[in-house]
Amino acid sequence: MPEDPNKIVVKDVSFSYDVDEETEGKAPRLALDGISVSIEKGSYTAILGSNGSGKSTLAKIIDILEVPDSGKVVIFGKDTDDDNLFWDIRSHCCCVFQNPDNQIVGTMIEEDVAFGPENLGVPNPELRERVDQALKDVGLFEYRHKETMALSGGQKQKLAIAGALAMHPDILILDEATAMLDPTSRDEFLTLVEKMRKEKGLTLITITHDMTEALRCDKIVIVDKGKAVKEGTPEEIFMMNDLWKYGLKRPVKFNFAFEIAKLTDSELTEDDLRSTETLIASLVKMLRKPGLKAPENVPSPEKKTDDNDIIMSVKGLSYVYPGSDTKALDDVSIDIRRGEVLGIVGESGCGKTTLISHMNAIFRPHEGDVIIHTKDGELSCRNKKDTMKIRQNVGLVFQYPEYQLFEETVYKDIAYGLRKMNLDKKEQTILIRDAAAKVGLSERELNSSPFELSGGQKRRAAMAGVLVMKPGILVLDEPASGLDPKGRHEMFRIIKELRDSGTTIVLVSHNMDEAAVNCDRICLIDNGKIKAVGTPAELFVKKTADELNVQLPRITRFSAMLRTELEEIYPDINFCGNCFDPEKEAKVIVDAVCRAGDADA
Amino acid sequence: MPYAGQVMPMLSNISLGRYYPAHSLLHDTDPRVKTLLYGVYLVAIFIIKEPVSIAVLAGIIFIQLLTAKITPKILWATVKPIIPLALFIFLINVFTIKEGDVLFSWQIITVTNYGISRAAIMAIRLIFLIISTSILLTLTTTPLKMSDALESLFAPLALIKVPVHEMSMMMSIALRFIPTLAAETDKIMKAQQSRGADYDTGSFVNKVKGYITVLIPLFVSSFRRADELAVAMDARCYRGGKGRTKLNPLKLTSRDVLVGIMFALLATLVVTLDFSLR
Repeated sequence: MPEDPNKIVVKDVSFSYDVDEETEGKAPRLALDGISVSIEKGSYTAILGSNGSGKSTLAKIIDILEVPDSGKVVIFGKDTDDDNLFWDIRSHCCCVFQNPDNQIVGTMIEEDVAFGPENLGVPNPELRERVDQALKDVGLFEYRHKETMALSGGQKQKLAIAGALAMHPDILILDEATAMLDPTSRDEFLTLVEKMRKEKGLTLITITHDMTEALRCDKIVIVDKGKAVKEGTPEEIFMMNDLWKYGLKRPVKFNFAFEIAKLTDSELTEDDLRSTETLIASLVKMLRKPGLKAPENVPSPEKKTDDNDIIMSVKGLSYVYPGSDTKALDDVSIDIRRGEVLGIVGESGCGKTTLISHMNAIFRPHEGDVIIHTKDGELSCRNKKDTMKIRQNVGLVFQYPEYQLFEETVYKDIAYGLRKMNLDKKEQTILIRDAAAKVGLSERELNSSPFELSGGQKRRAAMAGVLVMKPGILVLDEPASGLDPKGRHEMFRIIKELRDSGTTIVLVSHNMDEAAVNCDRICLIDNGKIKAVGTPAELFVKKTADELNVQLPRITRFSAMLRTELEEIYPDINFCGNCFDPEKEAKVIVDAVCRAGDADA
Repeated sequence: MPYAGQVMPMLSNISLGRYYPAHSLLHDTDPRVKTLLYGVYLVAIFIIKEPVSIAVLAGIIFIQLLTAKITPKILWATVKPIIPLALFIFLINVFTIKEGDVLFSWQIITVTNYGISRAAIMAIRLIFLIISTSILLTLTTTPLKMSDALESLFAPLALIKVPVHEMSMMMSIALRFIPTLAAETDKIMKAQQSRGADYDTGSFVNKVKGYITVLIPLFVSSFRRADELAVAMDARCYRGGKGRTKLNPLKLTSRDVLVGIMFALLATLVVTLDFSLR
């Protein structure tokens, strides 16, 4: 039967990575378990699923980077089983992967872009034209003679796109290609890719953990345990009530809308989700329904931490990297209060990591100082003798800490820091178990090799290795990056528990949404300088945010539209504050409408 | 991910295999010519021993530096890491060579005039070697061009089934990843330091042990990177050297030949001078 030449058809495909004979008797773990998907030519499809669900394997099967154990894959009428078509199919499908550093082959930018077409045997001068055109398309043409390592993360991903475009593909697959980028570069990157799709008629497949990103697509496929469990338009998919089962959740604005629907005993339909305007209109309609009940437990403005109880003071800190002429940090001063969660927010390369590296004396201050206030007096990062004490008091977890695990067992890895402290075995054991419990690692996981754990577990094991020292201050650099929605949720739950048990937390993030929900105060950094410090409610007011030129969290942007509509209907409406958790914000809105409605009556 | 060059104060002085982007006569010269010239200078550096010819060679190397537009700062970064080794070689030679007139003697230590001159030559040779490698190869030639040159020069070996293309590809990838892995090492060390690791103090054994805990995650992550890179290369249809074209194919121009002959002549001149002075 001839297959449709306008479709990518994956039919009953199974695939397993462990093919070695050792697994005798045991059935090998299937990465794909009889998956069937069909994707239209020229469409824009998102593949969603939890970590380890088989999304990336599906992408690899389509690009014939892996050959299915069973089942059939036909790309635009060409069967991948046909050896004669192998290179033809692969050369028309390109992938951009998550880690920019691990997909750049060339040292110079134009050399890297040329790598693909060179492999295809494209002769000069066509090769030169393709490379130049691809670089112009992504806006890196002026940089063509520069080193690839000199590019920023976002630019490196654009370079990867150029490398793909130079191969003149029909299909472009983005495998979590935006996961390591900050929101600005993310938007830029997606806009670029979508423009390329329009211009070149590409079939675009994107694998992502970002639900709002998935909204930009025509179609969503949910993959779970190696099967495609749901397929549909974004509206159809986000109507589902059991997304959580697949480690997913709704995009922020839908989350908020569904909460309002729940509080007003109404139902949302697919048509409502079609666009922001229709959604706002139907939400207004719901809120104007007679007999609206005021919700219980309307969140009150957040509790304040004590302004005077300072645990760490950063004083006039400046830092210049050797060999650089610009200041990575420029006269940064901030007091961190005991028991708060302080968010440090800014774009990549603004100095966030440099700042936190000073907090436990990994970098020694060139100018200024960092003082830690402990029960036993003050510790100064300038003072070499205090270094060990500082590092016990301030735990620092860098980004992707799981890449730094090295011991045979998780238990031993967590113990690493303790071994340097001359504690007896018994004390050590208690501390280790305590730390493991805090991050939710079981006894079995403690005794297994760190390399056997899943991504989220590894990250938590690495965190336990820092928590075991019982630091009063915990500094976390992007603790949730690369995790699926469920993993992120879990991570922030742990952070909240740590805060509740008295740990002061410094949280570095470029995700405004999460920073707004999880932080008591936020410190905005731009070009090595502090731009503003305040509570999320203070900073994320439209006027202030505009002045500071920061993006508001998605929930605030969406809710503001609804608030404007409501203000026109109820001129006297009075909202009690801003909340950044979609559920809480929904309550605030419903509560305000109730009170305004009562006043009207 | 931090960008290379952003967060690596501890390891930023690794300049081995670093390319220095600039436009100069030597940058533009065919890498094959540069490789052959490098061979010529290697021989010259190790043959000469007369102070006069060494001075002349220093002059030639200085001319090369100028034609490659290498700044004193870059030169210093290249030479600096090698100075302890050069010093070590110098001292070993000074103390072990017993021929010649004794200048100074104390217990078992004897310093002779011949010893000093030999030792100085040894140390100078090492430094010349490093500078030549940098000027002719690493600083002025991108890793990909370098591997192109080796592939082209060793192409005849492919006839006897030596995997020339594969070897040159391996080399260029290794060079491309040096800065990435240096940044990674720095990151791992910082993470372990913040968990109480101390690489600077303690006994020698302890220091070595400390570095082992750095090496394990570094190896693991290198394997992971290798894996991902292999998939990425596969996805970009890499299938060995067969049928591959080149964006910038190596082209030998008359200027390249001229540069080659000129510098080769200079080297011959130095060697001849050296022999005539003996």
